[in-house]
Amino acid sequence: MEHPTVADPRDDATLVEAVASGDSGALKELYDRHAPWLQARLLRRCHDREVVLDVVQDTFVALWKDARRFRGDGEVAGWLWGIGFRRMVSRLRSRKDVVLIPEWSSPDLGRLPAAEDEVLLGVEYGDLAGALRQLSPEFRSVVQAVVLDGLTAKEAGRLLGVRENTVKTRLHRAKAQLRGSLATLEGGPR
Amino acid sequence: MTAMKWHADPELLSSYTSGTLDAIAGASVEQHLSHCAECRAAIAAHTDLAGLELAWAGVRDTIETPRFPAPIRLARRLGLPDSSAVLLAATASLRTAWMVSAFVALAFATLAAILTDGENLAPFLLVAPMIPVLGVAAAFSAPQDSLETLVVTAPYGRTRLILTRTLAVLATSLPVAVLLGLLVPGPTWVAAAWLGPALTLIPVLLALSSFVGPYPAAATVAVGWCGVVGVSVRGLPATWPVQAEQQVIYLGLAVLACAVLTVRAGRRSEIGALL
Repeated sequence: MEHPTVADPRDDATLVEAVASGDSGALKELYDRHAPWLQARLLRRCHDREVVLDVVQDTFVALWKDARRFRGDGEVAGWLWGIGFRRMVSRLRSRKDVVLIPEWSSPDLGRLPAAEDEVLLGVEYGDLAGALRQLSPEFRSVVQAVVLDGLTAKEAGRLLGVRENTVKTRLHRAKAQLRGSLATLEGGPR
Repeated sequence: MTAMKWHADPELLSSYTSGTLDAIAGASVEQHLSHCAECRAAIAAHTDLAGLELAWAGVRDTIETPRFPAPIRLARRLGLPDSSAVLLAATASLRTAWMVSAFVALAFATLAAILTDGENLAPFLLVAPMIPVLGVAAAFSAPQDSLETLVVTAPYGRTRLILTRTLAVLATSLPVAVLLGLLVPGPTWVAAAWLGPALTLIPVLLALSSFVGPYPAAATVAVGWCGVVGVSVRGLPATWPVQAEQQVIYLGLAVLACAVLTVRAGRRSEIGALL
């Protein structure tokens, strides 16, 4: 499939600057670029479409108000994810029917060809995906919340219902375990 | 990273968005997406664009709606419906300028009491009850109300309007006045005792207004209260205007005023018609 080319000369950071000075056209451009993936990524964590759309809407309203706070030293995408995911977490904290941490063990395991898997993960250190799968569920959830979704230990603790220190300990152990299993699997970096 | 030359194919993206992709592969797609603008653009074809269109309309509405002024936002946060909030914000005595001047007047009175070391409470006792009373008077006197013409024609009970505004004036002016009262030297009960005359003068003011209109009524009440405090300056104890015997009289006066209001309102079916 052909990817639509991103022909617009203005990059994300420039657009955020324009939004900060009150340019709603720039906000629309950012919305068109970022709302779809944000929606898709949030939907992987909460299947209530209405909640997700509400969060997407809130995120861009927040962007409009707080654009000045973007420091410009990171990716706009990562920044938006931080706003959106945190909003969804705080919004859904009271709801027990929503899973914010995706289940890692699914029947589809190994569906992806190995080569693709490697490229995706940017893996240069052996079978990272395999090593991740070997983690126990509570370690995985911590890795997911902190490493992949970018929450702080405190936020992850609130989300997972454990103390902040527990999150830190689990993360530490999970990293050690990953390092260990990568070393035994592959005998060090390839 | 060399992976930047690689892009997720449509099949992968659609299994990601439909939720069939397992979490580890999903996580790696996400990591790729956060660094690849091209794949972020490509995923749009697999998402709920109609929903996003709707959400955008929501964003646009929010950012294009002018923000309400601070008092209205506060009133809304306290759970008032928009209509009441707007009417409250139009109240002259709830505007910042009014509140600041009331505060300054009372602060000077407090200062005078402090400087004379509590021997002369007259300025404080004179000003403190007048602040809520004049605030209420200003809250329903037509010429100061920017919404007056609207209020007259709107199907919104005038009684309700006056009572809501009276409550709002009390809620904003009393806490500050009580706090300043605590700074006044002398017995601590003075800080609360002036509430007696203040809460008496309001129904008296409303009752008088029903006969002569708000301005003459406010003037009468103010002169009357000045008289009471003025008498006390000549030889009576500083706290005389708010002592227990006098408070009983105030209570009687308040009951009388409420009775007059009720009777007058009963004849004309609502207080608002009178004021």
